[in-house]
Amino acid sequence: MVKLAEYSRTATFAWSHHKIPYLITGTASGTVDANFSSDSTLELWSLLSTDTNKPVTSLTTDAKFNDLDWSHTNDFIAGALDNGKIELFSFEKNSDIPSLKSISQFAKHTGATKVVRFNPKQTNLFASGGSNNGEIFIWDVTKLTPTTKEYTPQAPGVPLSQIAEITSLAWNKSLAHVFASAGSTTHASIWDLKAKKEVIHLNYTSPTTGLKPQLSVVEWHPMNSTRVATATGADKDPSILVWDLRNSNIPLQVMSQTQTQGGILSLDWCSQDESLMLASGRDNTVTLWNPETGKQLTTYPSRTNWCFKTQFAPESPDIFASASFDSKIEVVTLQDLTNELDKQETVSKQSESEADFWNHVNQDDQHTKEKPIVWNAYTPKWYGAPSPAAHWGFGGKLVRIAQDGKSVILEKPNVKGLELNMELND
Amino acid sequence: MVAITNAHNELIHDAVLDYYGKRLATCSSDKTIKIFEVEGENYKLIDTLIGHEGPVWRVDWAHPKFGTILASCSYDGKVLIWKEENGRWSQIASHAVHSASVNSIQWAPHEYGAVLLAAASDGKVSVVEFKENGTLSPIIIDAHAIGVNSASWAPATIIQGNNGGDGKNVDELRRFVTGGADNLVKVWKYNKENSTYILDDTLEGHSDWVRDVAWSPSVLLRSYLASVSQDRSCIIWTQEDNEGPWKKTELQQEKFPDVLWRASWSLSGNILALSGGDNKVTLWKENLEGNWESAGEVEQ
Repeated sequence: MVKLAEYSRTATFAWSHHKIPYLITGTASGTVDANFSSDSTLELWSLLSTDTNKPVTSLTTDAKFNDLDWSHTNDFIAGALDNGKIELFSFEKNSDIPSLKSISQFAKHTGATKVVRFNPKQTNLFASGGSNNGEIFIWDVTKLTPTTKEYTPQAPGVPLSQIAEITSLAWNKSLAHVFASAGSTTHASIWDLKAKKEVIHLNYTSPTTGLKPQLSVVEWHPMNSTRVATATGADKDPSILVWDLRNSNIPLQVMSQTQTQGGILSLDWCSQDESLMLASGRDNTVTLWNPETGKQLTTYPSRTNWCFKTQFAPESPDIFASASFDSKIEVVTLQDLTNELDKQETVSKQSESEADFWNHVNQDDQHTKEKPIVWNAYTPKWYGAPSPAAHWGFGGKLVRIAQDGKSVILEKPNVKGLELNMELND
Repeated sequence: MVAITNAHNELIHDAVLDYYGKRLATCSSDKTIKIFEVEGENYKLIDTLIGHEGPVWRVDWAHPKFGTILASCSYDGKVLIWKEENGRWSQIASHAVHSASVNSIQWAPHEYGAVLLAAASDGKVSVVEFKENGTLSPIIIDAHAIGVNSASWAPATIIQGNNGGDGKNVDELRRFVTGGADNLVKVWKYNKENSTYILDDTLEGHSDWVRDVAWSPSVLLRSYLASVSQDRSCIIWTQEDNEGPWKKTELQQEKFPDVLWRASWSLSGNILALSGGDNKVTLWKENLEGNWESAGEVEQ
């Protein structure tokens, strides 16, 4: 398996927060398909379906998407449309058959809407960012019904300085009134909705170029409310910077990719293990980092174009999806080890005749078989969680792991009325 | 009671006694396996087996008729087979057909030969037979979307009505159960014609990852399966006469205080030990009315 699914679309996407997640995809803005079609669709995919050409359900939309996000309660999907509108969709799952409906559309941004993000704590709120004048709006889904005619989203307050385009928004994972934004400027911004203003500016001078690179992406630590990551969008010296806001002058951690060069377009800090972060961008690759140690863990096989969005399935972080401009959304597993069967296949391929080789040669296959490079092995937290695993043995003996996790205890528990029975049988 | 303190430097994931209850194998996040000799109240470390490149999740002893053999599985995607000869342990085989963490292993009933079942995060289970002159090619099946957490053999079962005289014409009903990250429990059955295992039944009942499944080892007219889950519940599944529908019984109505990680049946098959994330081991037995009741709790 390993590559669980591949959807042949240039589309942005969002995961649902189900244990067996759904993926929603929306035709990406700025791309033209083979038929020069300007149609845009929103499609829902189930990982349990093996047909990657036929979505579970779909909707046609007025404009293409720059971003999509799924509410943490799974009821709503927000779309950032290229025509400046925000479109809100409802997701319902009645007796296992899911349905999608468009609820409402609002034109409040003066340029294209670039990004939408739901608040993980106050689940009815989402933020949107646009391409003009640093426009950010805060929306409340409980007020966006199909009959809502007039609605004015909230503005986050006063910026510290002029911002042009917003390309990334992230809500703090523990404080519902705090979020971060980044875009076309050399600083990332931290906003406080209670104070109604931008409270902190983050900027960074690259030691290799001496320049302040554009900080294009922001992402919060999954637990620590003062920790935030930003990434540089410039192709020269692309870096991921981890900051502790208590000292916002210099980053705590700088992670620079040495193998490839290309600005970073997407970051996702795993909600179930703070030692895992996915990054992808203009180097056409997806990289797994440990932002706690600054170590690069895994580099996934390269695509043929920019990877503009990469995200863990929030409730099943063993898998992630990434979208690239070469008409592909791939859903893959974090781990993809080379095994004996792969080796056998390589051996049989090497013994193929010339004619056979040219008959079977297929670029797509090559990519499918390519394995990630593991630089540093790391076992995610959700594996082998501490548990006093207990096993019965001969003679009614029970072996169990003690509470400290490092000791073993062998004993014969006294089970009322069954001692005799166990002695005889075991 | 024997307490082996600080047996490993990092978390221990499994500890299993051999067939005679004389040797104990433990495995850990420290990537090693340790073999202890246990005699009465005393224990002695015999060997530390090094070979895995990741945390070792589980170990299982082969039936003694095959020799002193231990299998282990790890996050490194490998199953390693270890053997003791003249007091010395060595790695004798490696089974590496999975592309992600191998989360559980179990030797088949010895009647089938040295056959091992492995369950992995790549969504597959594999069944491989080890022979004197090497292994046969493994049977690999796609079992659960997003990963298999556990797999457990049914006891060796002879189907009634066949000629059982010389043992050659007897039909065995080879089955095992798997539990996965798709919240499902699946029962698989060997199909002679295709030499593979086919899906026999899909059991729905859990609302979160199934962490462990255990098929009761006693050969009774009724088959018992226990499945434990991240949803903090344990379900007992029963089937009459090896065929027909599986009946679902919740071990207890209310949820357990924490995630349930492991289930183990006593060798006589009637006492179930459950271990959970709250560090508690609870024991359960079925009463005459067919309800499950507590048979005690193991003190920490």
